[in-house]
Amino acid sequence: MSNFIFGRYLPLNSVVHRLDPRAKLLLSFCYIGLVFMANNLVSYLIIIAFTLGSILASKISLGFFLKGIRPLIWLIVFTVVLQLLFSPVGGHVYFHWAFVNITQFGLVNSGYIFIRFLLIIMMSTLLTLSTQPLDIATGLASLMKPLRWVRVPVDTLAMMLSIALRFVPTLMDEANKIMNAQRARGVDFGEGGLLKQAKSLIPLMVPLFMSAFNRAEDLSTAMEARGYQDSEHRSQYRILTWQRRDTITWIIFVVAFAAILATRRW
Amino acid sequence: MSELKMTVETRLPKLSTLSLVTMGLLMALQLVIKSFSVGPAFLKFSFTFLVAALVARLFGPWWGMMTAAVVDVIGTLMSGGPFFIGFTISAVLGSLIYALFLYGKPVSWPRLIIAQVIISVVVNALLNTLWVAIMYKTPFWGLFPVRLLKQVIMTPIQVVLLYALFKSHIVNLIQKRLNL
Repeated sequence: MSNFIFGRYLPLNSVVHRLDPRAKLLLSFCYIGLVFMANNLVSYLIIIAFTLGSILASKISLGFFLKGIRPLIWLIVFTVVLQLLFSPVGGHVYFHWAFVNITQFGLVNSGYIFIRFLLIIMMSTLLTLSTQPLDIATGLASLMKPLRWVRVPVDTLAMMLSIALRFVPTLMDEANKIMNAQRARGVDFGEGGLLKQAKSLIPLMVPLFMSAFNRAEDLSTAMEARGYQDSEHRSQYRILTWQRRDTITWIIFVVAFAAILATRRW
Repeated sequence: MSELKMTVETRLPKLSTLSLVTMGLLMALQLVIKSFSVGPAFLKFSFTFLVAALVARLFGPWWGMMTAAVVDVIGTLMSGGPFFIGFTISAVLGSLIYALFLYGKPVSWPRLIIAQVIISVVVNALLNTLWVAIMYKTPFWGLFPVRLLKQVIMTPIQVVLLYALFKSHIVNLIQKRLNL
C-alpha cells in the first residue's frame, strides 16, 4: 500500500503546475516519441536539457523523481547489465570471456539506455506531481472528444471516469476499514506463501465488491432523482482554457523535436 | 425493451444509470486494488484482472474494452508510470478475450483456463515484453523467459480466483440486481 496513487500530487505554484492539463498530457505522450528519436550524444543532450528545464520550472525537488524510479529499478539494472555484457563487438574491447564482451560500444550504449530510462520516468513523474487527478481526468476527457466520430461514447466514459475518481479515496478508506475489521477477527494479510496470501484477500475482496455495488445503487438512484437521463445532452461546469503559456511550452517542445531530428544519425 | 434500444450516436445498447454507475465504481475498485499487491518484489501480483474480467462478463466486449483503456491510461498517469500506448492495447485485448469467453456464457473451467492462458501467454508475456523492449531497448529474448516464468506461476492462481469470483454468491446477486 506504499504507492498510493492519490496524494502524490504536490501543490506548488509553478509555471508547470499552471499549464493546461491537455497541454501537459499531450506533451508527455509525445515526449516518449522524442526519446525514441534520440540516438547520439547531441540529441540526448537536447532531451536532457529539455527535461531538466521542465523539472526546474516545476520547482519540485529531485528526491521525488528518484522515488519514481524505485519500482522500475530491477528492470533498469537487468537491461543495462544485459546490454553491457552481450553487445555486438565494436570499438575497444575491455574484457573478453567466452561470449561475454565488454566493449566501448556496449558501455556507451548501456549509458544511453540508462539515461533513456531516467528521462522517460522523470517526465511521467513530473506530470503526476504537477497535475491534480481531476484535472488529468478532465483533460483526458477533452482529448478523447474526437473519438466521437468513430462512435465512442466519450461523454459516458467521461462520466464513468469522474465517478471512478471520486470514489477511489472512499473505496480506499473502506478497504482499510475492512482490512482492520478482518485483522481484528484474526486474518493475517501479507503473510505466508503466495497462495495463502491470495486466499487471505477473499475476506477483503468480497465485502469490497458488495459495498461498491451498494454504493452504485444508491448513487444511481440519487442521480436519477436529480434529473440525470443520459450523458450526451448536458452542459459542462469544469471548463479548460488554453493560454499563452501552453502555446509557448509547445513551441519549445517542437523546437526541441526539430533539433533532435536534425542532429539524428540516420 | 428500453435496454435494447440503440442510441443513435453510439450504436451501443443504451446503458441504464445503474450500469453506468456500477462500471464507474468498478473502475474505481480497479484503481484501488492496484495498490494491494501480494508476493515478493520480483513476483508482484495484483488482482485488477478480477475486476477487468467482471466488467467484461457483465457488460460485454465493447464496454469492457473501453473501460479497460480508460483505467489503464488514468491508472498509469496517476501512479507516475510512463505512458505507452502498447500497454493500453494489451489491457484492451485482455478485456476483449475475457468478454469473448465469458460474456453471456456459462462459467466453466475450460473457458476460464483457455481465456486466462491466452491472456497470460500472448498478452502478458509476449506483448508486454515487446512493449518494454520497444520502450527501453531492453533485449526481448533476455526478458521474455523471466516474464513467461512469472506467468506460468500466476496463471493457475488466476484461474482459480476467477472461478471463485464468478461462482460466488456475491457476483450472482449483483448480476440479478443489475437485471442483465
